[in-house]
Amino acid sequence: MIETGIIKLDDYLMGGIPNGKSLIYYTHPGVEGNVFGMQTLYHNLAAGMKCVFVASSSDPSMIIDTFNEFGWNLEAYRENLIIVDAYSGLIGATSNEKYIVGDPENIDSLNETIEKVIEELDDKSVIMFESLSTIMDLCGEQKTLDAIKNWNTYGMLYEHVLIYNFTAWPYEPETLEHMKHNLFDAVITVGGIAERVIFGQYFGVLKAEWSDVELKSMLFRVLRPGGIRIYIPKIVVTGPFDAGKSTFVHALSTRAVSVDRIGTTVALDHGHVDYKGFSADIFGTPGQERFDPIIKMLSGEAMGIFLVVDSTNTKDFVRAKQMLEITKAYGLPLVIIANKQDKSDALKPEEIRKHFNIPDSVKILPAIADKGVGVFEAFESLVNKITEVA
Amino acid sequence: MSGYSLGIKEIDDHIGRIRGGSNIMMIGPPMSCKDDIINIIIYNGVKDNDAAIVVSTREPGERVFNWFKENKLDISNANIGIVDCVTKTLGMGAADTENIKRASSPVDLTGIGVKISQFFEQFLMKKNIANTRLCINSLSTILMYSNIQTVFRFLHVFTGRVKAANALGIYVVEDEMHDPQTIATLKQLFDGMIEIKASGDGYAMRVVGFTPKPTPWFNYEMDGMNLIMQESV
Repeated sequence: MIETGIIKLDDYLMGGIPNGKSLIYYTHPGVEGNVFGMQTLYHNLAAGMKCVFVASSSDPSMIIDTFNEFGWNLEAYRENLIIVDAYSGLIGATSNEKYIVGDPENIDSLNETIEKVIEELDDKSVIMFESLSTIMDLCGEQKTLDAIKNWNTYGMLYEHVLIYNFTAWPYEPETLEHMKHNLFDAVITVGGIAERVIFGQYFGVLKAEWSDVELKSMLFRVLRPGGIRIYIPKIVVTGPFDAGKSTFVHALSTRAVSVDRIGTTVALDHGHVDYKGFSADIFGTPGQERFDPIIKMLSGEAMGIFLVVDSTNTKDFVRAKQMLEITKAYGLPLVIIANKQDKSDALKPEEIRKHFNIPDSVKILPAIADKGVGVFEAFESLVNKITEVA
Repeated sequence: MSGYSLGIKEIDDHIGRIRGGSNIMMIGPPMSCKDDIINIIIYNGVKDNDAAIVVSTREPGERVFNWFKENKLDISNANIGIVDCVTKTLGMGAADTENIKRASSPVDLTGIGVKISQFFEQFLMKKNIANTRLCINSLSTILMYSNIQTVFRFLHVFTGRVKAANALGIYVVEDEMHDPQTIATLKQLFDGMIEIKASGDGYAMRVVGFTPKPTPWFNYEMDGMNLIMQESV
């Protein structure tokens, strides 16, 4: 089995893609789906696997540059990377690659080269098609569909994993249906959230024959460098006055800003976190009761909640529980931060639990926010809860 | 004011403002200064705080910007995004900049589409600019590498996006480079046309589709960045 290298996607796929299987990243036009295939290829190259990149819309000499934009240095693994040049023939350019498709507009020419590469690979490998839609545009829909069946059969026989990037232009409806449901062992849809323009991107597992995962969509962003990051647009940090919410937001964030007066948050804290494949915007609420209307506003459409409590101040726990109600946190992924654990009279998380009527599945984690202790463990715990496989 | 003006007075006087969401084909013979006319339309938009997205298939992004500099037009604060389909095709490595995003090649319609979408998001959602002009210069280059069905599918998606974004789309086509069937197929996607033809020693243009009858033909010539127009008799 190989991993896709995309955080959470491997969980949805029960660990990755078994050898001999095929997977398509089925992308809506205008969305950065092509990065998925690139990230999968690079992840496996870096893991020491032999990989094949079938270039159909890029000059092979530019591919290294394109990967570099994401911080992925192909040069370091060049001996394990085979580039099939299905592009140069199209523009009449010469090629330095070993495997060249003489006539990229002729599916037989492409077929012949792909079969040759597959046969000559001496180990289980990853074969990634840069743009299946370009091949379809050049060679025709039906011929390409037939070729895909052939490549997938070859892949299965030789136990290679085949990865396809595909942009779902308005082809014949039967072609698109075939692509989504019949031809591949796994289909990952990559789409855009659009109003007047595309302003958000998501991916989901449409099918994976080896896994019984429930279809679930995740928002993502593409970072340069960095690649694909799961994006969580809103995590709310709430808790009583002086529990350490602002300190927590600042300790966690790559960058953060607070609207405060003499050290007390009077409107909000906002921070942005990039950590272990996740990208999230964090909103901290004020703690004082007179700001409760703001807390209500801030917590709308949150995907998860941190409740920060001062572990030494039990009398504020009632207020903490009240804040959970104001933020309508019940039912949302929630992590309670037992802050100020360095104080001698701090209660331990299990002691704090006795004060809260919450299910055991809600984690209470120790932290010392002003020293940055425990904040990232808490973040990881919450985002795993938000994105967990159903 | 809603809608878009081309910034070419003689034409604007006839057709008024063009409704947001419109897609226009500009078709004319080679060397009829279509690049200059497109750049003038872009400049007239950005000086009124519109944004512009230019898909350049014939010149690197930097050269598109140079045109404005050479003509002493200040676009330093303008919201212009170039999708450069040339630099990487020439095998030249160059990083993207804030205003120039580079597609792999004119074949890479997926990449071109992603970069157009990114600029739309940047201008409409992040910078809150109401009006954006999308200029594809030119469809003919794209048609050299991809067949008409492929280009039709691409345009079907992006003329739709122009409509959704209430933008103005202008698509340049070289006359005499394509068979009539190709032009007829492309025409289905557009709301109007800027037609250019040879006229005597020079060229003439008119606009079709925005008024009940086509505008009159106007002879024109370029003087630097000035478009000098004169109604044909």
